[in-house]
Amino acid sequence: MPRFDDYTGENLIPPYRILDLTDRRAAFCGRLLADYGADVVKVEPPAGDPSRHLGPYPADDPGAERSLDFLFYNTNKRSITLDLDSQSGRDLFRRLAADADVIIESFDRHHLYDLGIGFDALRAENPGLIMASVTPFGNTGDWADYQGDDLVVMAASGYMQITGEPDEPPVRQGNEHSHYPAAQYAAVGILAALYHRDFGGGDGQHIDVSSQEALITYYTDAHPALLWRKLGQNVTRVGTNSTLVIPLGAYPCKDGWIAAGVITPREWNALAEWIHEVTGNDEVLNDAYRGGNQDRAEHIDIITALFLEFAENFTVQELFHEGQRRNLVFLPVNEVADLLADPQLAESGFWYDIEHDDPAIGAIKYPLGIFHSDEVKARNRPAPSLGADNAAVYQGELGLTADELVTLGSDGII
Amino acid sequence: MTESGPTPNALTGIRVVEFGPYVALPLTGRILGSLGAEVIKVETNKVLDEMAFIPAWSRGAGQPEYQRGKRRITLDVRSDAGRDLILEMVRISDVFMTNFRRNVLDRWGIDFPEIRRQRPDSIIMWQTGLGGHGPYYTYKSFGILVQHLSGVSLMTGLPGDPPGVVNTSYSDYHTGVFQPAGIIAALMRRNLTGKTATLESSIFKSGVATCGPALLDYQVNDRPPERRGNRDAWAAPHGVYPCAPDPVSGDADRFIAISVADDHQWAKFRQAMGDPAWSTAPEYETRIGRQRNQDSLDAAIAGWTASQDAAALMDSLQQAGVPAGMVSQGADLNASAHLQSRDFYQDTQYWEAERGVKATEWVEGDSVSWSIPAKMSGTPIAFGKYSNIGEDNAYVFGELLGLTTTEISELEEAGVIY
Repeated sequence: MPRFDDYTGENLIPPYRILDLTDRRAAFCGRLLADYGADVVKVEPPAGDPSRHLGPYPADDPGAERSLDFLFYNTNKRSITLDLDSQSGRDLFRRLAADADVIIESFDRHHLYDLGIGFDALRAENPGLIMASVTPFGNTGDWADYQGDDLVVMAASGYMQITGEPDEPPVRQGNEHSHYPAAQYAAVGILAALYHRDFGGGDGQHIDVSSQEALITYYTDAHPALLWRKLGQNVTRVGTNSTLVIPLGAYPCKDGWIAAGVITPREWNALAEWIHEVTGNDEVLNDAYRGGNQDRAEHIDIITALFLEFAENFTVQELFHEGQRRNLVFLPVNEVADLLADPQLAESGFWYDIEHDDPAIGAIKYPLGIFHSDEVKARNRPAPSLGADNAAVYQGELGLTADELVTLGSDGII
Repeated sequence: MTESGPTPNALTGIRVVEFGPYVALPLTGRILGSLGAEVIKVETNKVLDEMAFIPAWSRGAGQPEYQRGKRRITLDVRSDAGRDLILEMVRISDVFMTNFRRNVLDRWGIDFPEIRRQRPDSIIMWQTGLGGHGPYYTYKSFGILVQHLSGVSLMTGLPGDPPGVVNTSYSDYHTGVFQPAGIIAALMRRNLTGKTATLESSIFKSGVATCGPALLDYQVNDRPPERRGNRDAWAAPHGVYPCAPDPVSGDADRFIAISVADDHQWAKFRQAMGDPAWSTAPEYETRIGRQRNQDSLDAAIAGWTASQDAAALMDSLQQAGVPAGMVSQGADLNASAHLQSRDFYQDTQYWEAERGVKATEWVEGDSVSWSIPAKMSGTPIAFGKYSNIGEDNAYVFGELLGLTTTEISELEEAGVIY
């Protein structure tokens, strides 16, 4: 069992030392672990993680400490700088790895091996070491050396095949969705590996996470391989409406869009009655439309028309609350501004206020409360400034002198 | 496994009670089971999980994804005897996880204080739709619509488009994969400190948590996210281009995604295209120039891709050092040599669910199931057995809870176990 002298359970995750070498495609893994208590040290090249040089910035004024992209993906981490392309940088990394619990990386699969700091070499000095590699297509197989960013992985996983309008090309989701699934699976794998090592009598190990595979599991409802095998059909885009649940979709109303879906016969009856109250159109009470969702499949066009005629009489919020009062799944189609003002999120322990030294940023809300609990909270430290923890780590832990630190700095190692 | 040796799987020895239907909670159980935990899935009240009837192409064919690797039992918790049995399971389990609403759990007498009384160090994962407390706590939702609620659909597509939608239970999957992380961490914390934890998740929060830096940009700059379609603020070309109809199926809906991050990759891409005359135009020389002239650039690239096979083009561009990916269809994924070499899809059996017919009499069929996309070198992911509903009643009620066969058949006759 590991010894954590100061850990009394205030955070969900014990303060395991994690070295984070990932770029923004996998940075969410370390963030999730750091938010909930792990000691995640981001190891950055001396010029800083590339995402420090990506916008958006406050007032579009660039700066390595003000990239909102970097700030979002790196909360609660610490930062050290280190040039892994130099021999002395790699020597220092080896010393750090010898005492680390976990390394997370997202380089191409040969990179760390070519530098002489691949998993096997590091593990030889630290048998308990756990390393997770998050790559577009995994570390083995024909595509292992293929490159990919969000767009390419969204495409190759097939996730894009079912995103967008039927008569338009496939579209990627605007939140760079592929940055999350693989990072989440990596976090699960890391925690399971730590559990095995520390409470199951095991050793360290390597975890190989493919973003393509992770995304395939994120649309299991559509199960493309199975549909092909069973019926020789390829899943495709259906726009805002569903072919499985009728009606289901997003519909324009007075001041925006309402999302609605009807599954059970009881829900349909409640909706039909409400539509009739509002529009007086007797057609909606037609017995042919009653029943479970598949029973209405052949009537989708008329049902959609009836719904549109009804919805245009209301605002989003009117439909949302009255629909729910009638036990119907009605939900607003929100913009980011709506989320930040949402009363439910405000009461869900979800937003964490984080202060920034930069007055152009100030105190802003971060969505860290994925788990709400009376017993444990997420932490609320902003993403680190570049190399903020160099002294603490290199002097405090590795025992380098102040002079040595200065020399490493002037040599461009840190 | 010897007494002093390591456990064979990462979570061997952990027992989990999974109480609730649909997508996210069963996915969490599937992941924990794959990591070696013993997961007891309780199907309750003689109501079949609607997921057994979706997807429509074959009832239950997708069920192994959610339910494999679990012990599946049936129990009617509306009876006192049923409630007592589930509480007995709680006593011998490390984790209790559910997605039933608070008022429903209260009515059945298996509320969280009762869980704590039965097993003081139980880790409780309470999965909610919109939140367990707060103004929407009674509201209903499901995953595919939460992509609208959580903001992502109005970040997707182009300005003026309807909300951009993916045809799946969107943030159910985020929740389903967040939860095992919370549970394993809570188990570590319990082992180290003796403290327990109740964690509440929500499908809504999982969706918003993954909206990305747009949440900060709005607060700092008062700027809503730009709907960029497939374009990117930092790369050009960056888009999806039409390809030739599929050589096997004849399907014309074929595309390739191409992403060129910098001038170095642009040079490689030009070379891969054979340096056509249009590509040497000065406006395309730099990234800024390419971004300013994306309409003409995309049209020219589409002219080059339109006659080519998506899969072959992906290979040739990748081999030339250009990030590219065909928009994969089911046929591609099913036949993918890459995925096969990683044992990603594996064959499995399933049972075709039929209302009113006992599960033991359901028709057996074949399906395909993916394996968990975190390959672990030291503690292999268990693909696991796919049990039918109620198949493990004898194991759980008999071996784990110690009921005699007579007691079990009495409970069956009373309709408590079915």
